[in-house]
Amino acid sequence: MAIIKDMIPAFDLFQPTTVDDALALLDEHRGEAWVLAGGLDSYDWFKDRIKRPKVVVDIGGIEELRGISDAEGGLEIGSMTTLTEIVNHQRIRSEYSLLATAAEHVATPQIRNQGTLGGNISQDTRCWYYRSGWPCYRAGGNICYASTPKAMNREHAIMGTSRCVAVNPSDTAHALIALDAKMIVRNGGSPRVHDAEDFFIGPSIDITRMTVVKPDDLLTAIHVPAVWANAHFYYEKVRDRGSWDFQLVSVAAAFQVSGGTISDVRIAVGGVAPYPVRLVAVERLVAGTSGGESVANEAGELSVQGARALRHNDYKIPMMRNLVSRAVRSVT
Amino acid sequence: MALWRTAANPWGQDVLIGVSWDLMYAAIIVAVVYLIGHAVWIKTRPADEHMDTGAPPPGLPERIQRHSLAARVFHWTMSASMLVLLATAFVPVIGLQFPWVTIHWIAGVVLTATIVYHVIHSIVWQDFWAMFLIGFGEGVAHLKHILSAKAPAPPKAGKYPFDHRMFHHVIVVVGLGVIATGLLMIVRIDTPLWTPNPYLLADSTWGVVYVVHGMCGVSLIFFTAAHIYFALRPEKWWITWSMIRGWVDREHYLAHHDPAKWAVTGGTPPAATADASVSEPRDA
Amino acid sequence: MAEKLIGTDIAPPDLVAKITGRARYSEDFRPDGMVFAKLLLSPMPHCRVRGVDVSRALAMEGVIDILRAEEVPQREGPREACLTDEPHYEGEPVLAVAAVTEEIAATAIEAIDVDFEPLPFVLDPLDSLRPGGPTAYSEGNRFARLPDAEQGDPPAWIDFKWTDTDFVEIDAGRMPNAEPLVEWSKGDVDAAFGGADLIVEDAIVHQSVTHHPMEPRTNMAYWENGKLFAHVSTQSTQRTKAAIAGAVGIDPEDVVLIAEYCGGGFGSKIAGTTVMQIPAILSRKINRPVMLRITRYEENYVGRARPGFQSWVKMAFRSDGKCTGVDLYIVEEGGAYGSGDNGTAGAIADLIYTPQNMRFRAVAMLTNTPPKSAQRGPGGAQIVSMLEPILAKAGRELGIDRLEMRMINAPDPDVVFGPRGTALTSVHAKEALEKGAEIFDWAGKQELSGRREGTKVTGMGVALSPYTAGSIGFDGLILVRPDGKLYVHQGIGNLGTHSISDTARPAAEILGLDWDQVEIVWGDSSRGMPRSAVQAGSQTTHAHTRANHAAATDAARKIRQIAAQSLGGSPNDYVLDNGRVFRRGGGAGMSFAQVAERAIQMGGEYDGHELPGDIHRETVPAAEMLAGEGLMGVAKDNYGRTGSTYTFVAGFALVELDVETGVVDIKEFVGVTDCGTVIHPRSLGAQLFGGCIQGMGMAMTQRWVFDPQYGVSFANRLYTARPPGMLDIPLDMKWDAVGIADPQTPVGAKGIGEPPVGAGAAALTTAIADAMGGRCLCRTPLTPDIILAELEGRDPAFGRLDQHVG
Repeated sequence: MAIIKDMIPAFDLFQPTTVDDALALLDEHRGEAWVLAGGLDSYDWFKDRIKRPKVVVDIGGIEELRGISDAEGGLEIGSMTTLTEIVNHQRIRSEYSLLATAAEHVATPQIRNQGTLGGNISQDTRCWYYRSGWPCYRAGGNICYASTPKAMNREHAIMGTSRCVAVNPSDTAHALIALDAKMIVRNGGSPRVHDAEDFFIGPSIDITRMTVVKPDDLLTAIHVPAVWANAHFYYEKVRDRGSWDFQLVSVAAAFQVSGGTISDVRIAVGGVAPYPVRLVAVERLVAGTSGGESVANEAGELSVQGARALRHNDYKIPMMRNLVSRAVRSVT
Repeated sequence: MALWRTAANPWGQDVLIGVSWDLMYAAIIVAVVYLIGHAVWIKTRPADEHMDTGAPPPGLPERIQRHSLAARVFHWTMSASMLVLLATAFVPVIGLQFPWVTIHWIAGVVLTATIVYHVIHSIVWQDFWAMFLIGFGEGVAHLKHILSAKAPAPPKAGKYPFDHRMFHHVIVVVGLGVIATGLLMIVRIDTPLWTPNPYLLADSTWGVVYVVHGMCGVSLIFFTAAHIYFALRPEKWWITWSMIRGWVDREHYLAHHDPAKWAVTGGTPPAATADASVSEPRDA
Repeated sequence: MAEKLIGTDIAPPDLVAKITGRARYSEDFRPDGMVFAKLLLSPMPHCRVRGVDVSRALAMEGVIDILRAEEVPQREGPREACLTDEPHYEGEPVLAVAAVTEEIAATAIEAIDVDFEPLPFVLDPLDSLRPGGPTAYSEGNRFARLPDAEQGDPPAWIDFKWTDTDFVEIDAGRMPNAEPLVEWSKGDVDAAFGGADLIVEDAIVHQSVTHHPMEPRTNMAYWENGKLFAHVSTQSTQRTKAAIAGAVGIDPEDVVLIAEYCGGGFGSKIAGTTVMQIPAILSRKINRPVMLRITRYEENYVGRARPGFQSWVKMAFRSDGKCTGVDLYIVEEGGAYGSGDNGTAGAIADLIYTPQNMRFRAVAMLTNTPPKSAQRGPGGAQIVSMLEPILAKAGRELGIDRLEMRMINAPDPDVVFGPRGTALTSVHAKEALEKGAEIFDWAGKQELSGRREGTKVTGMGVALSPYTAGSIGFDGLILVRPDGKLYVHQGIGNLGTHSISDTARPAAEILGLDWDQVEIVWGDSSRGMPRSAVQAGSQTTHAHTRANHAAATDAARKIRQIAAQSLGGSPNDYVLDNGRVFRRGGGAGMSFAQVAERAIQMGGEYDGHELPGDIHRETVPAAEMLAGEGLMGVAKDNYGRTGSTYTFVAGFALVELDVETGVVDIKEFVGVTDCGTVIHPRSLGAQLFGGCIQGMGMAMTQRWVFDPQYGVSFANRLYTARPPGMLDIPLDMKWDAVGIADPQTPVGAKGIGEPPVGAGAAALTTAIADAMGGRCLCRTPLTPDIILAELEGRDPAFGRLDQHVG
């Protein structure tokens, strides 16, 4: 069979208007259904004729998945809320600006108008070997092309790898981890609630998925608790060009500061592992201190302990170290 | 039901990538059917009998050593690693996901080490040909007896009965298959000891390696299940105990084994000794 | 008094059409019965088609036919054919399928089984030069006339290899004195190095990048009454007609070429494209119009790329900063069909450093990568970007201000450079540098150089980028019709610059017409096109202001003669203004409408029935077709010149480098050009900014990525190729022009398309080097990972001469 790209093959399109209808469709077409949110990830797969679902369930018409509402003092964000809506939302901008900043770093304004928060955190990795349809472990095969001695792996992982060395590319995932967010996933029965950092799974658990969401699941909402509202936030994303670019490395951090002391902290890093990495040890180091240069440097060094570079991504070690230091330094 | 999976390699060529998981389910079903089938069938059969071989040799102790301590340690280490390998290989496929790769290859290394030990030990210190005896006539007799209880009972065996030997032969094949391929696959694991080089072989060759590994592994689901089943069968407990305690008692020895084929030396006659000592057969 | 046109801003005639979407590109046409074609591309970098089974595809409903390599023109040696059975790069088209819809055509492609036999491949020219190393073609790695060949002997395949000793040097990261394929020298470079006060030498690698014009090279073609109607995405128009005619094997007069709009080409669509042959040949085979839409993915392959250079330079300097010697060795990645950027690179290196002693050596090797073609400033953009940081480094070591270094080494009007001792028609490089320095406030910003604030270090860069910018000898063809308007027949293409209309302004000025009395006729060869330049090499503005000037001069002479004959007196008594010809000082006159009627009555040369003997034979049919329709001005540009025409752009950049992340923020940029007379200021600014930005992208964001094991490309979508975007360019960008007319061309105008690329790239590479304390990373793209690794002193994972490492 010869290969051709840039031409979406035909599929059966369903456009349910309720979550229950969507779940029923996913169950009925188990094994051959694909959930379509904003399409910014899906269409790339379809265009290259690599993932070719027979059935596509477009959840764009499900109103109950949209919108941002108050919930127990925090926020309940429908999974289909667009990134632009997140960026522009009054309460997110004023109280949870980490999320607005993170969302604003995604791609381009056009993509943010169509891309959703749920989609952004559910997106698949952009390892170009995998995205070219090569039969690697993540694709169900028996090899990782990116970890071979001569492979082109400047954008791949320096930690958390297990046969697969691809990274989670999401710009909002680690921001949500830093906000102690929870993801609500439904599948027929009652909703399952996942802590943000447990929502993302590594290749040692399941090498074919980036998140706990299975093909017949639906991520319905993201819950941001009130606990980190109005904290001091830090977000920085390093990329090759100023826009429309996935990260090389990025950091999202939240600090509760009172009386000059950091009483609590969350720091998570993207672009360095197959999942967004919450730096628990660094958090323990920093909490209770008043920040400052030497704590910041120590935090940075600690964050990259155990990191192992591939041939072309050694720079990610100092880059991650520096970003973590900068996050801590920003408190003073 | 598919036997294997293929994919297009980076150059668009179709290559094997691994065994189809249908085979895993098939192996489980075959194992269950076989076990239940055998349990039902054996109830229709009279108790196991063997030809009489005449008077027992003098001076047989109460307990005859079947497996030395070394052999037993080998067996249980090997079987523990085998069970870990099977569990880490197939449980994630069925749906319970956990980090399996590291445990799997470490267990594989353990298995390999035990097999290397066993190969050397069995060739140098044990009676190699006791296991590798073909015994074609014995086999034919066994088969006739299985097909009809009225056929004459097969002759008494040496140390290792026909069915044991056949099982061992099959295990040798699939075991070496899974180990040889597994050692090749270890080249692909990133460990502190070496950097992976997946391009050691062509991808079509790797596909064959993975399929062989998978097929041997899947067959081991069946063989392990069958082995444990037979080990737990009441009429076989006396053998199973010997893999734990090291010895079989004289009655079972005489009932099932031909002393001419499996001679046991040493020791004074049981009546003359205060405690039932375990004699050292020639092939300890 | 007719308005002055040269030097003013006038909206181009196609602006509204483009903005409203009414502009029709090749993709927008749908003749009756049209079918779509899709391509089957090679999955391997080098292979042979052993067998093809198209039975399942042909049996599909809606599939019309399949075109194979044996049905299209093939040429001997490393020459590109539009389809091939021995692909020489991953992504090369093997066959085409025509079907009633694109979806069916794509499904049909998947239903075709091709047995590809993989062959050894090579991505890096150095690997091909290595003894025992792979060659891009099974037959060898070089197709040329043998050294001892006789006149008339055909070229042959050889294996051109360097020696094992050479590769001891390569493996140590140094360029050996290995056998070159191109060599020239002047002066005594060894003596220069012997007497130098400072020698700087380094390896420098400049990568390939794909052209990625906004419009992919979609083409549509059909035949009617033996004529080929070709809708082509192309930079040129009149010259593309001849190209497609030749490729398909018919008379150019049997081709109607329609190319009103082209969304850019940057050198990859100069006289059309190779893939334009496919709809032409396939539509002839199946007797239906065929549309071949090229996708963005395919642009990465058939869309060409700039050749990369792996080079070594050694430069000698006097203590006052003057460069006295240059020894330059370039290894060029020639792609599957060869390239020759190195020639221009060598000449331009000589031009901007004026060393008087120079040795230039180069080797261009075939590789199994997408074909290379000219890309906006071929050779020049690369070499300027590569060498200017070396000049800056030398300045730092000598303690001389870098602008001063640039000035000392910049060429004067009497410069003679390159292997053939080229002289130039005008040189105002130093004026451009001075003007730019003033606008940029180089002197005032000196203290910012190297200044650190927080984690950000400021760096400043200056660069000089020249490129050829003019050609001569083409024809102009204009008509004053009985409606009184001037119709300028342009054979040049509308590739997204404004030369399509700007080059007509001299004609309007000579004839004394307001712009609203001028119609530009372009984009459809059946309307009559004179022999024109290709739209490449920045030559169009120069060549066609001259050609239209000549044609208008011819028309003016005829108009005066007609007036004298009709109204009395001598032609010199008459002046042209406001669409009329009348006696000087007022008095009897005629409208142009009347002149046109009169010309038709008089016939002869006035209405084009008699043509000048020196116009090109390709212009003749166009002129003959227009004969009798009005007052014709037709002439060849015989103005001549004694040197080559070059434009200079001086670029200045200020950057902030974050030393903790390697991210570079371009804060300010100034580009000043010596391009002769400025015809259209706003357009000039757009060309300067556009070219400079493209250069910045080339230096900083855009890249090629290959997997070395499979020879397959990964940066094949815009989000992985990473051309620069809006947020990569500085908010503060300024431009200006020296504005001194070139004395050897009537309008004084030189071209502008290409020189800015090198200026943008080099201003950036020098500014980054400055921010890094004078360290030259000496490779592109300068992405954060490479910069950070250097700043942190970490081991780079590639050799100094390695390419495609990102």
